[in-house]
Amino acid sequence: MQGWDVPGEKIEPTRTVETEKLKTELLTLNMGPQHPATHGVLRVEIKTDSEVVAHAIPHIGYLHRCMEKHSENLDYRGVIPFVDRMDYLGAMNQELGYVLAVEKMLGTQVPRRAEFIRVLVSELQRIASHLMAFGTYALDLGAFSPFLYAFDEREKILRLFEELSGARLLYNYIWVGGVWNDITADQLARVAEFCDNFEEELKKYDVLVSQNKIFMERTRHVGIMDADMCYRYGATGPVLRGAGVKWDLRKVKPYSIYNEFEFDVPVADGDRGATIGDCYSRYIVRMKEMSESVRIIRQVLTKIESGPIMGKVSKVIKLPKGEVFVRTECPRGELGIHLVSDGEAKPYRLKVKSPCFTHVSMLGEVAPGQLIADFVATIGSIDIVLGEVDR
Amino acid sequence: MSTNVETVSVKEYFHSLYEGVTSTVKGMWITFKYVWGHKAVSIEYPEVREVLPANARMRLFNDVDNCISCNMCAIACPVDCIYISSVPRPAGQEVPKTDDGTPMRQVLTQYVIDTALCCYCGLCTTVCPTESLTHSNDYEFAQYTLGDMKYDYLSPEVIAWKPRIVGKEPVYRK
Repeated sequence: MQGWDVPGEKIEPTRTVETEKLKTELLTLNMGPQHPATHGVLRVEIKTDSEVVAHAIPHIGYLHRCMEKHSENLDYRGVIPFVDRMDYLGAMNQELGYVLAVEKMLGTQVPRRAEFIRVLVSELQRIASHLMAFGTYALDLGAFSPFLYAFDEREKILRLFEELSGARLLYNYIWVGGVWNDITADQLARVAEFCDNFEEELKKYDVLVSQNKIFMERTRHVGIMDADMCYRYGATGPVLRGAGVKWDLRKVKPYSIYNEFEFDVPVADGDRGATIGDCYSRYIVRMKEMSESVRIIRQVLTKIESGPIMGKVSKVIKLPKGEVFVRTECPRGELGIHLVSDGEAKPYRLKVKSPCFTHVSMLGEVAPGQLIADFVATIGSIDIVLGEVDR
Repeated sequence: MSTNVETVSVKEYFHSLYEGVTSTVKGMWITFKYVWGHKAVSIEYPEVREVLPANARMRLFNDVDNCISCNMCAIACPVDCIYISSVPRPAGQEVPKTDDGTPMRQVLTQYVIDTALCCYCGLCTTVCPTESLTHSNDYEFAQYTLGDMKYDYLSPEVIAWKPRIVGKEPVYRK
């Protein structure tokens, strides 16, 4: 491709044992935007030296929907369906982040029951999102059946969300001041049943995928993003915890009512021969997070209180002048919502800090020297959703 | 895998081979158990249809017999897909009332929803004071052209949906 080379920067083919004597030319290869391994419409321009990636540049913007600008023309309630569409696999967590920002400026008191339901649906959504990451990651590496088993479990969560909110993916369920619909005792019993079954399922996934020698060989010591690199880029979520850093906003700066629950923050410890920060560590952190989420859900089920589900919010929401920045822990990392209000019924500016955007930018540094197949494994392990990258 | 050539002893080589085979067989055994004794989760779609929850947000339906033309839905809509217009009721004419007793002071002249534009967020149904606008459970409405996705809720064929969705006969309060 013409005009690709950056002036002053000469890209040398990667020196390996095979290429030591052979002079090879770099071949430019476009991966995406419709490549199944890129999880959406990400285009990665890679220069390959035989089968080794010498240089990779991620190109984004294929799913840009102007959400931030568009929300400046909507009232505060109307933004919620658009916030859903940023990360369509973790919509509940995104809604929670936005709604917390509005409530913080508004000073709304959220009823206790609504807070419990919020935590419940957020953790269920985290499980659903991690199941999707687990399934598609196994699919990327050539295992098909874990994908189906993961979707089987995910379907139960989506069905519950459909009954709660009316939609399967884009819920518009968490509202400013509370939640839309109340959860019934029958649904809570089903969540408890799901939790019991899910622990068995997790053990099954562990034998099926995590302990599989082929899977381990494909992911261990591959795509190492160590703590130093994570700090430099500002990585968060499972990528940061996969690098061995114990940082989880739910624990460090609890929002909502997360301070009332007991749970651990799983970090990569390098067991099963993995290097800290490699694909396997990030994968294992997600698997452990799912069981921690089950632990939180169990506590919600015992502690949940009866009462109203909506606080007092005026019919037309008008925020006072000022700005607020709220961070929440989404399945993929920290979501930052910067909301600026000029006192009108519409946001003056809504800036979203997306975790996936940070993680995509790390690809360029981690790629050189990898095999193309390992590069696919690296993209899968950071679990990106392009809707959130481009917004 | 890394690009560096590693030296592997014969023992290590066969050990990893053994581990690869045994761990895969263990996984295959889990998959094999799905052959019998596991209920199929797929639904044979056109023959078997899933029953949607009562509050599933599918195609919008506006019961024009109960609509008071208050414009709340069009204001709440984040994608502006509801086109509503009305005229004041001529003086002297008897003002009909909706099912819940709200007087219909306006005459609805147009109520069109572009379902191709609709994002099914449900905000319009929550602000409706007479609950005339609801999400129905109809999800099979694929069309050949985009224009066919626009539904005129004052047209007789759409009013004819009322018994199926609301469970009441249309009354034509005009």
